[in-house]
Amino acid sequence: MKRIITLTVNGEPVEGAVEPNRTLLSFLREDLGLTGAKHGCGLGDCGACTVILDGKPVNSCLVLAVQADGREVLTIEGLADNGKLHPIQEAFIETGAIQCGFCSPGMILSAKALLDESPKPTETEIRTAISGNLCRCTGYQKIVEAILAAAGTAQGKEVS
Amino acid sequence: MLLPKFEYHEPTTLEEALRLLSELGGNAKVLAGGTDVLVRMKQKIDKPSHVISIARVPGLDAITPRDRHGVTVGSGVTAADLARHELIRDRFTPLALAAGRLGAPMIRNRATIGGNLVNARPAADFPPACMVLNAILKLKSAHDEREVPVNGFFRGPGDALIEPHELLVSINFETPPPWSGGSYVKLGARKTLEISMVNVAALVTLESADGPITAARIALGAVAPTPVRAYAAEELLVGKQPSEELFQQAGETGVGMCSPITDHRGTMEYRCMMIEVLTKRALRLAVEQARAWRP
Ligand SMILES: Cc1cc2nc3c(=O)[nH]c(=O)nc-3n(C[C@H](O)[C@H](O)[C@H](O)COP(=O)(O)OP(=O)(O)OC[C@H]3O[C@@H](n4cnc5c(N)ncnc54)[C@H](O)[C@@H]3O)c2cc1C
Ligand code: FES
Ligand code: FES
Repeated sequence: MKRIITLTVNGEPVEGAVEPNRTLLSFLREDLGLTGAKHGCGLGDCGACTVILDGKPVNSCLVLAVQADGREVLTIEGLADNGKLHPIQEAFIETGAIQCGFCSPGMILSAKALLDESPKPTETEIRTAISGNLCRCTGYQKIVEAILAAAGTAQGKEVS
Repeated sequence: MLLPKFEYHEPTTLEEALRLLSELGGNAKVLAGGTDVLVRMKQKIDKPSHVISIARVPGLDAITPRDRHGVTVGSGVTAADLARHELIRDRFTPLALAAGRLGAPMIRNRATIGGNLVNARPAADFPPACMVLNAILKLKSAHDEREVPVNGFFRGPGDALIEPHELLVSINFETPPPWSGGSYVKLGARKTLEISMVNVAALVTLESADGPITAARIALGAVAPTPVRAYAAEELLVGKQPSEELFQQAGETGVGMCSPITDHRGTMEYRCMMIEVLTKRALRLAVEQARAWRP
């Protein structure tokens, strides 16, 4: 039996009717057309489906849509501000941290959750924060550099 | 990867959750963080006709200190919350360290201590930590309530001393005595997102900062069908002055208590070697922390 859920997605109130066996990932992609979160392994291993749920990054392939009822979801589509990319997104482009891009939404959201919590992370903290996000292309080094650069920008803004 | 169909229940009180469990019992699965049960359902290992989410039952996600005597951890507390909780890190160190090593950050944000214990996997991270802290599990059903020591809770892989109509409500820990220190070390092929090849928790109490060992507990995971306490190794330590040779002996004794398997993560011989090395390391770290004990 379908259930009505209401939640906030990227700052907008959203209502949907879902079967309980639908995942949050499939609700976002198929019902809302937000295809930024990717379906990779479906088992919590790859992080391609990462979204931020009530401030915390989670694998949306392992969350039921009904479990998100009343909660707040941020996807990669909600990161830009009025068409202006988020500093982390800018840094990924400038550093060359994106190749095929399949892992990028998850990587960027994991990085955002990290920087929200500790704006000046060490390289180890960065590597830990993205340790659940697999990338088959970049070898991770550019991604770490991008997050370090983004942290620098964010700090620069704080100081000035 | 699709989930099989099921009926979904979302109780908002403990009473309602227990009533549902007693009515649906064997046909229902409790859903906490979902990082195990949803994976098993996707793989069609579990096909419950009812799923009972306990995420909206109030209080299950609370960490409640009891004066200085101990702490009560709700079964729905996540690994992420335990890993960063100051009291847990200070006084219940193996628990915080085990929490910080479970899966990756996204998994830790969902995975609960209750789900990890009930799951009863031989290589899981929370059991050894709970075992050296002598945790007591509180199980409730619609008409009954009982307390079960974690040392004795695990019966075999995936098999724990809990009935389908029971809910694990909370886990109780007594604060270790003064001059106690704890540790948790885990060996996997990679740093994160890895089921342990061997994991060791230790808790050591000293008479004073430079005194002999008055109590020791060691628990080993991934080395037998259930996590095990290395009682013989513990006994060997008591009354003695901590030293590298002593830790080495304890490690060797610990190996004798294990029946590890050979699988794609490691051979039996390698695991035995690692039990010795990790036990030694865990004891060293626990003693270091015990010596730095502050009231
Ligand atoms: C990618 C990935 C990596 C992982 N890495 C690790 C790891 O490194 N170490 C590790 O130990 N585990 C790991 N796990 C396994 C899993 O994340 C943990 O076991 C987790 O703690 C389970 O908690 P949960 O809340 O998600 O449980 P759920 O999946 O919600 O439940 C697990 C089981 O316990 C039952 N249950 C849950 N809560 C209760 C309760 N209160 N009362 C009665 N029954 C209950 C459920 O019915 C189910 O059978 C990993 C899983 C994934 C997907
Ligand atoms: S698709 Fe969710 S972790 Fe891989
Ligand atoms: S850029 Fe291709 S998977 Fe990361």
